[in-house]
Amino acid sequence: MTLARDDLAVASTAKPARWSFDAKALIAAPGLIFMGLAFAVPVLMLIGDSFVDRDGLSLAGYRKVLGDPYYIGIIGNSLQLACITTAVCLAVGYPAAWALARIRGVWQVILFALIFLPLTVSIVVKTFGLTIMMRRDGIINFLLVNLGFIERPMRLVFTEFSLYFGMVNVFLPFMILPLYSVMRMLDPRLLDASASLGAGPVHTFLRVTLPLTMPGVIAGGTLVFSISVAAYVTPGLLVGDRFMTMSQVMAKAYLNIRDFQLGASMAVIMLVISAALILASSYLVRTPGGERR
Amino acid sequence: MALFGSLFCRLVLGFVIVFLFLPILIVLTVSFSSSAVFAFPPPGFSLRWYASLANADSMLQAVWLSTQIAALSTAISLVLGTLCAIAITRGMIPGAKVVATFMASPLMLPGLVLGIAFLQAARDFGLRDTYSTLLIAHVVITMPFIMRTVLASLSLFDFAMVDAARMLGRSYPAALWTVLVPNILPGFVSGGLFAFIASFDNYPVSIFLVDVRTKTLPIQLLNQVEMSPDPTVAAISALLILGTIAALIVCDRLVGLKRMASI
Amino acid sequence: MSQQATALPPEAEAQHEPGYLAVSNVTKRFGAATVLDSLSLSVGRAEFVSLLGPSGCGKTTLLRLIAGLLAPDQGAIEVGGRDLTRVAAHRRNIGVVFQNYALFPHLTVAENIAYGLRAKGVPKAEQAKKVADALGLVRMEAFADRAVTALSGGQQQRIAVARAVVVEPSLLLLDEPFSALDRKLRETMQIELRHILRDLGITSIFVTHDQDEALVMSDRIAVMNEGRIEHLGTPSEVYARPKSLYTMEFVGQSSRIGGVVTGGRDGLVEIDTPFGLIRAPGHFLSGSKVVVGVRPEAIAAGEGPAGEYNTVRGTVAEVIYFGSRTLLHFRTAQDDDRLHVELNRLPDTVSPGVEMTVRWRVDDSRVFPAPAGDDR
Repeated sequence: MTLARDDLAVASTAKPARWSFDAKALIAAPGLIFMGLAFAVPVLMLIGDSFVDRDGLSLAGYRKVLGDPYYIGIIGNSLQLACITTAVCLAVGYPAAWALARIRGVWQVILFALIFLPLTVSIVVKTFGLTIMMRRDGIINFLLVNLGFIERPMRLVFTEFSLYFGMVNVFLPFMILPLYSVMRMLDPRLLDASASLGAGPVHTFLRVTLPLTMPGVIAGGTLVFSISVAAYVTPGLLVGDRFMTMSQVMAKAYLNIRDFQLGASMAVIMLVISAALILASSYLVRTPGGERR
Repeated sequence: MALFGSLFCRLVLGFVIVFLFLPILIVLTVSFSSSAVFAFPPPGFSLRWYASLANADSMLQAVWLSTQIAALSTAISLVLGTLCAIAITRGMIPGAKVVATFMASPLMLPGLVLGIAFLQAARDFGLRDTYSTLLIAHVVITMPFIMRTVLASLSLFDFAMVDAARMLGRSYPAALWTVLVPNILPGFVSGGLFAFIASFDNYPVSIFLVDVRTKTLPIQLLNQVEMSPDPTVAAISALLILGTIAALIVCDRLVGLKRMASI
Repeated sequence: MSQQATALPPEAEAQHEPGYLAVSNVTKRFGAATVLDSLSLSVGRAEFVSLLGPSGCGKTTLLRLIAGLLAPDQGAIEVGGRDLTRVAAHRRNIGVVFQNYALFPHLTVAENIAYGLRAKGVPKAEQAKKVADALGLVRMEAFADRAVTALSGGQQQRIAVARAVVVEPSLLLLDEPFSALDRKLRETMQIELRHILRDLGITSIFVTHDQDEALVMSDRIAVMNEGRIEHLGTPSEVYARPKSLYTMEFVGQSSRIGGVVTGGRDGLVEIDTPFGLIRAPGHFLSGSKVVVGVRPEAIAAGEGPAGEYNTVRGTVAEVIYFGSRTLLHFRTAQDDDRLHVELNRLPDTVSPGVEMTVRWRVDDSRVFPAPAGDDR
């Protein structure tokens, strides 16, 4: 009984005003110190580096990136890549997650495992498989020719088709799993209730299903967008230099041309994009758009 | 109409599963091909690419390095992360929520950004040793996975058990070891598995930290895919896939896949 | 009750005869909140003392301080003459039965009980014997190899008791051990536990917010309020002669009638109340605002001899039927005032709105100063 009060007291002592030190809290120290030194400090230093060149403080890196149509175009490429990947993943993942959430029993476990398993396979391996599929003598061309869509095999590698095909292939599970976890909690009786009140399927979907599954849409969308905007391996192997992204520029800046300020500025811009995305999504989850009316 | 809708959704799900497995099945098929080119369908089947793995020294070295780094970084994260998670759950430290977010945040940052940050910091601190740099970076990479699963397990753990153990004569650390650890073992197993996979597969961070002689497996694999792709790469990839499936099955036996995936 | 033990104000410490468990002037603060305020408590060997009070009164904090799971800001805690104030919890040899039992789900019943013996390095053969004895004590011999998660609430509680007493602790602390049980089982377990602890002769501190539980089980009860002990005494003392209005109202049902003292003599005071003039034993100055408390069962229907009894007339507001007894509520204009009457037989004429005369002995009335701020 007093326990509740003790907890309350602990919570209130968490304020800086009067926090009495407990020796047991020292168990947190190794982890916190490690993450401070090995994670927070390097990231902060990177942000600092983006404002410094050989002559001291300067915005040259940002001027270079944000003032040059070439780099603006690259930022645009990354955003376009992320937007299209996210949109396609949502369009395909939503009905798939819905079916997965509505199936019961052993099949749900099996199908869930089948969605989950590809996630644990190395991205390099999957992308390698994709490059084989995209070859002139690969399975895609094999299917297209044999099904009569085209007469002769065409070049797919290094096209935008193969890029988006690959991106969706690699990141689709990241959309389905958050959607699934929200849809699984959804009470199917709500939909019956809506139907029994005379609402048509479209109306039910727009007014009931979509708003209720919005947290999953936001979570999955944020996840897929933030990892695809930063994707490096898949675009690199599937289109290479023909479709430059921010990741490509960052890697080149450090590994090839050694323009550290350019790389650091690009990294900070990407950091800002991801941070903005995460903040926006947590804001959206707190005030779900569907419940405004 | 509703029937049509659910049928449509099931069709999409089936299509999605085939789609997701395509590249994986292709890699498996090619690894058994008798030909050195990736023609589909393959002209015949053989195990020659698996046999040739025995001579792929740089590849085997990379496998060994990645295994070490993944195992060590997961172990270090488990210890540091669990201790921190206990302090967070018990409200021993001020701003517990912020601390929890901080410890899990490397997962939210783009991998390349992290990699660049590590590269710069290692240079600035004069850390030359590739192995230790990789290890430190991978502890940061694995920490969020441990934090998320262990925090979730601890939220279901009744800490009165620790008090009970202390009243029965165990010191606080001994109480944690004999009572808390066995009870949140499922969290350790699933968190540890994901952390291991995350480290083992990591490309964007490691690419900035490896050198010519010290390469992790994803780096070595991608090099090979770009330079001289042959079915040896497919063979090692196939073994990786099988290894992952084996690990998942073992962990499923230990704690149940449902529980693992619900984090 | 041979043991002399009372809650003492700090200045009375000099006369304080040390008991087996001696808590002296313990203060505990959490941030700005003082949860225990210079509290002292002395408990004799083999005594069963309940800490009774509402949520937030500090009873669980006091228990955790005695256990060593919390450290006091001031004051000292001794058991059997040994100062434990700075001794770590695991070296105190104090047993605890936790609210939700805190059994270890990864161990079997027998392993749970053996846990403390292993920690103390008791040899294996002796462990087995002691575990068997402890299981016998709580009549759970057949369950040794079961998983604790497969046990019912009552069975879990027995195992928790066995686990706590098997190490022969110098003191047993029980933190609301019955709160997870349903009412029927709770009553059986209370009596059973009391027997076990009496047979073992173990000194026990029992935390509860349930007055019935405290009355049934305790040698003495410490009624706690806002970090202090309001009344420490035997169950009958606490019930029949409460030292404060708080104790009167927290332990058992009571009638409460506010009034003003109009005069007094021979150790009796006369009080003007909404129910008329009432007499009660006590010494108060004329004009003092007071509250008169009476237990419902002390009140009977009809008039009594004027010398010995208070007789009042009022309108029945509510009739609550319990089967073996009936509770009548009388109300006045003052919301806080209430007169509860408990009757074994209900006169046929009684129903809400009927006027009725009731009486109770002057000696059964308790007078307390009106709480501050209560001056309507």
